[in-house]
Amino acid sequence: MNGGSLQRRLVLILLVVSPLLWAASSAVAIYQTHHELGELYDTQLSIFARQLLSLSLSGGPATPLPPVKDLIHGGAHADLEDHDLGVAVWDGQGRLLQSDGDGDHFTFEDKRGFYQMTLDEHGRHDVWRMFYLPAPDGSRLVAVGQREELRREAMWEVVGAQQLPWLLTLPLLMLALVWGVRRGLKPLKALSDEIATRRPDDARALTAPVPAEIAPLVAAFNRLMQRVSETLQHERRFTADAAHELRTPLAGLRVQAEVAQLTTDAAVRSHALERLEHGIDRATRLVDQLLALSRLDPMDALPSVQTVDWQRVAAAATQEVADSAAERGITVETQLHGVPGRVLPLAGDELLLGLLLRNLLDNAVRYAPPGATVKLVLAEDAVEVQDDGPGMTSDHLARLGERFFRPPGQEAPGSGLGLSISLRVAELHGLCLTLANRPEGGLTARLAQAATIGRIPPKGSTR
Amino acid sequence: MRILVIEDDTLIGDGLKSGLTALGFAVDWVRDGRQGQAAIDAAPYDAVVLDLGLPGIDGLDILAGWRRTGRSEPVLVLTARDALPDRLTGLDTGADDYLVKPFALAEVAARLRALIRRRHGQMANRLKHGTLELDPVGRSATLNGQPLDLTARELGLLELLLNARGRILPKTLIEEKLYGWGQEVESNTIEVHVHHLRRKLGSEAIRTVRGIGYTLGEPL
Repeated sequence: MNGGSLQRRLVLILLVVSPLLWAASSAVAIYQTHHELGELYDTQLSIFARQLLSLSLSGGPATPLPPVKDLIHGGAHADLEDHDLGVAVWDGQGRLLQSDGDGDHFTFEDKRGFYQMTLDEHGRHDVWRMFYLPAPDGSRLVAVGQREELRREAMWEVVGAQQLPWLLTLPLLMLALVWGVRRGLKPLKALSDEIATRRPDDARALTAPVPAEIAPLVAAFNRLMQRVSETLQHERRFTADAAHELRTPLAGLRVQAEVAQLTTDAAVRSHALERLEHGIDRATRLVDQLLALSRLDPMDALPSVQTVDWQRVAAAATQEVADSAAERGITVETQLHGVPGRVLPLAGDELLLGLLLRNLLDNAVRYAPPGATVKLVLAEDAVEVQDDGPGMTSDHLARLGERFFRPPGQEAPGSGLGLSISLRVAELHGLCLTLANRPEGGLTARLAQAATIGRIPPKGSTR
Repeated sequence: MRILVIEDDTLIGDGLKSGLTALGFAVDWVRDGRQGQAAIDAAPYDAVVLDLGLPGIDGLDILAGWRRTGRSEPVLVLTARDALPDRLTGLDTGADDYLVKPFALAEVAARLRALIRRRHGQMANRLKHGTLELDPVGRSATLNGQPLDLTARELGLLELLLNARGRILPKTLIEEKLYGWGQEVESNTIEVHVHHLRRKLGSEAIRTVRGIGYTLGEPL
């Protein structure tokens, strides 16, 4: 469907189509009238011929009569045209016994029935409709004729009488059509005005009354506005949260910087500077995580999909946390349970899954006590990160993954976004990420096909 | 002057403790909201710095609880939320002042001093007793216009005595006001400080009320 004005198109179509329809109906009317009049006149001609034949056979009067108007002497004679009709009676040998009207111009022919013929009459060539009727014994031939012109005139008069009112009202009809189209399209105009004057953040549904044809469009528009508004609110909340979350590390940095400046005690100063560095790491991490989330959030589908080689992903992720693990004296161990090629079969994005694993390992390394062991278990039904740290209270477990939530009393720097990122990556892969305390102590993060353990919606996700 | 800081963020809490200590306050830092709520009974605090975004319990709930039970310590609220309704809720709940993160340490100190001054019914920021003058902001004191060479503890003690003019300060209260948790206080520490102050101000400057404590002498 191309653009252009709907109104103009409708008007054009109606203005072209309605005269065409009128012309077509007129053509049908002309044909019908012509046919019916022809039949009527032909019947008259044949009856006339029959009567004339029976009169002439019984030897009726053969005296030529003057024209009708002379005979009726001023009586009502309507528009009789004596010259449009004619009769002639011949005997078997072709001698003209009697004629009336233009009958003297008829020719004796060896014919019977209806004919169309051109008569030469005082130099005028006219088409006549003729009916030749011979007597059964062949002693007489009667010809009755009628000028075609008369029939045509009659036909045009009938058709004209029929079509003229139509022809006269056609322009009125067209005006009415144009007006009707304009009026019919008015709700569209009102609708576009309403949308045009709308504030961008106005998510109220359009309520203006609209024709049934536009209602689906309006409904679709309202649904879109609702979605846009939800996305917008989500973004705003996220931005506000992010800004507030940045305020806390900034406040910490500022306070520590001021302490370093203020104090005369070298030990206090070096402690403050150390804290400052720590705080900068934390703020940097927060910004990195915010960026990662802001890229993951609007994704509807994975940027690239391939068969995932979990061993490769795991090796890269463990490599990335190796330094911080070594710093805290934590051992990161990868265990493979089952056949290497059959670990959690999945088509997905290895980069994102790497980010997910890194976040899980990072958390485990960060919160496990020094000297602990963090295990990355690759199994056929799940990928797990296990630590033998202190575990978590159920209150805090329930809130994990809530954006910016960090269990209280954290010494380790963290943004409170790592799990949100992991949950989002899992969601994009149709995986389910669950965290639970291990019976033997510590925490386990389990990544499995959503279907195998039932889908648990990621917390803190507003999608 | 002793301050209770309730702040879960390590970086800020640690900074406030070191910073406010350097600015002449005795600071106790509590990270947990519930512990913080109870901590107010542990020592005679002059003011409280309260973070609103605490895990476990909302800072405003702590504040409301204190006010319900009649605690009137001035409370300076710290928060990351700066929208007007947030601030109004805080003040309506009983906060005496409000600071939005990130804040300057100097501002925290200044507002704390203003809160404490207001509590003592003082308008001027300088404490005077005759020709003895103490500047709580500049952490300095003068006698007859001559600057005095005082240690931080001596200044703190003098500030306490000036704030409590006309009243007797018990020795234990002085200890509690000058020292936060975890700071070792010898049994004669306060006597030593008083002794040093007398040497610098004159022996009549501080009177000992036997068995009770200390008070300021006649204006110098």
